[in-house]
Amino acid sequence: MFGTQSTRDISFEFQSQIPNWRPSIYTRRANITVKFQDLYGFTVEGNVDDVNVLNEVREKVRQQGRVWWALEANKGANWYLQPQISSISEGIALKSSLKLSALTNTITLKRLIRKGIPPVLRPKVWFSLSGAAKKRSTVPESYYNDLTKAVEGKVTAATRQIDHDLPRTFPGHPWLDTPEGHATLRRVLVGYSFRDSDVGYCQGLNYVAALLLLVMKTEEDAFWMLAVLLENVLVSDCYTNNLSGCHVEQRVFKDLLAKKCPRIAAHLEALEFDVSLVATEWFLCLFSKSLPSETALRVWDVLFNEGAKVLFHVALAIFKMKEEELLLAHQVGDVINILQKTTHHLFDPEELLTVAFDKIGSMTTNTISKQRKKQEPAVMAELDQRLRRLNSLNEDDK
Amino acid sequence: MATIGHNNLNAKLVLLGDMGAGKSSLVLRFVKGQFLEFQESTIGAAFFSQTLAVNDATVKFEIWDTAGQERYHSLAPMYYRGAAAAIIVYDITSTESFARAKKWVQELQKQGNPNMVMALAGNKADLEDKRKVTAEEARVYAEENGLFFMETSAKTAVNVNDTFYEIAKRLPRAQPAQNPAGMVLVDRPVESSQAASCCS
Repeated sequence: MFGTQSTRDISFEFQSQIPNWRPSIYTRRANITVKFQDLYGFTVEGNVDDVNVLNEVREKVRQQGRVWWALEANKGANWYLQPQISSISEGIALKSSLKLSALTNTITLKRLIRKGIPPVLRPKVWFSLSGAAKKRSTVPESYYNDLTKAVEGKVTAATRQIDHDLPRTFPGHPWLDTPEGHATLRRVLVGYSFRDSDVGYCQGLNYVAALLLLVMKTEEDAFWMLAVLLENVLVSDCYTNNLSGCHVEQRVFKDLLAKKCPRIAAHLEALEFDVSLVATEWFLCLFSKSLPSETALRVWDVLFNEGAKVLFHVALAIFKMKEEELLLAHQVGDVINILQKTTHHLFDPEELLTVAFDKIGSMTTNTISKQRKKQEPAVMAELDQRLRRLNSLNEDDK
Repeated sequence: MATIGHNNLNAKLVLLGDMGAGKSSLVLRFVKGQFLEFQESTIGAAFFSQTLAVNDATVKFEIWDTAGQERYHSLAPMYYRGAAAAIIVYDITSTESFARAKKWVQELQKQGNPNMVMALAGNKADLEDKRKVTAEEARVYAEENGLFFMETSAKTAVNVNDTFYEIAKRLPRAQPAQNPAGMVLVDRPVESSQAASCCS
């Protein structure tokens, strides 16, 4: 789009590099583990069944693409970028007939997005639906370039930590783990650390920003996606100072698990297994570190359209899918192994999202907000208490 | 599998320490015998288990490898609660990481399980030319605080398994109280001194 920006477009394309992997009779004979690159360049290790599932998923992605093109032919180009019902309530006056069509579009789009956004449309659809486009439109066009130039060469605690984490972010990835990949990810993370000094840099954002870069392809768009995520989509203070927002989400999650999956919750409590032991990473990395890439991105498709409650749906679904197995587990280690194995092998996004949205029951953003409000005082008190304890330790030291 | 005989012990172990000190690398070396120059940064915590045979008993470690960044410390109590052992890791090339390690020791002394076996690991011992923390300084500190101390290198594997073996030997043979308020174990010296001669 802009002269300066085009040089920073991410020049990689994986789709073409990946042959459709057909298991031969030879490989069928044994349960051989194969290594290959997935749609976004991540190395996947799996057995022949996993490869078959991935090939099916790739075919489904193509079919879903055809649904989108057909709708585009019918409703007009970029119909999905039109104002949605939520923004209409913000005061855009429309004729009732238009409202109705907007409503139908909103419903159609919601269903469509739950079925997946075709990878080629993701940058455009995410940028619009998440509110990133709107966010960017409120500042001068040169904002990102000015920001990255202004902070170049500055050293802060955040930049030191970012530098430390660059080679540790999806190491071995064919683009992220190159000097160009490191430099690009660095500019996004450092830029953001200066935009919001309360957040600065929080470990976990490296994975989120990395995946955003792979999808958005343009560094600046990835930056705005990161901004809208932290500032609008997710609960506030998820990544600041003592992760208080994350603590709140974990408590809400525990309550929801007790409500939606009471047998699992009771069983895990008896094992003295705190679900936050595993769920913290899910919520902070938005599943980017635990789910296969296409599955994680399908979660993000819905996240950007429906908001942070989606994370609860998905986390609950992972437990729900393995209810019987979890109820048979008698050791903490077994519970973790079940959950890890499950998440790492969820190559079929449909399997997860069907449970997440059809079997968990609906949860409105409103009820979740109320739950958060309820948990906040307890979290603050707990964090405060810990801080006081630590300060008294330091005084002993003197 | 669920039966816990006299000679089989499950022990929860937590690794704490500054970002980049090498906690995950130590675990990877111990559990899989591997070393990666760039180990993915840990978010929240990662779980591993590994069983060791010590004398006539087996110890199954349930290992929690925690995230090092300071803001993640608010999550730490969840991981060290009920732990039978802790390895506090610092990087011998960083005085900051040693200062951070001392803070962890203090916190565990006040908040952790009182019978917890604590080890101090000065990691990256292979980087002798970049050393900032002397072994002597750390040894004195460890002695003063009743910790067991070793300098380790996840890269060269030096002292990594030994650290875990030594912890296994020092574990009280009875299961640590899961609920510290429930029972008070008699405060007795750890039964390690006579066993330590075999491999150290």
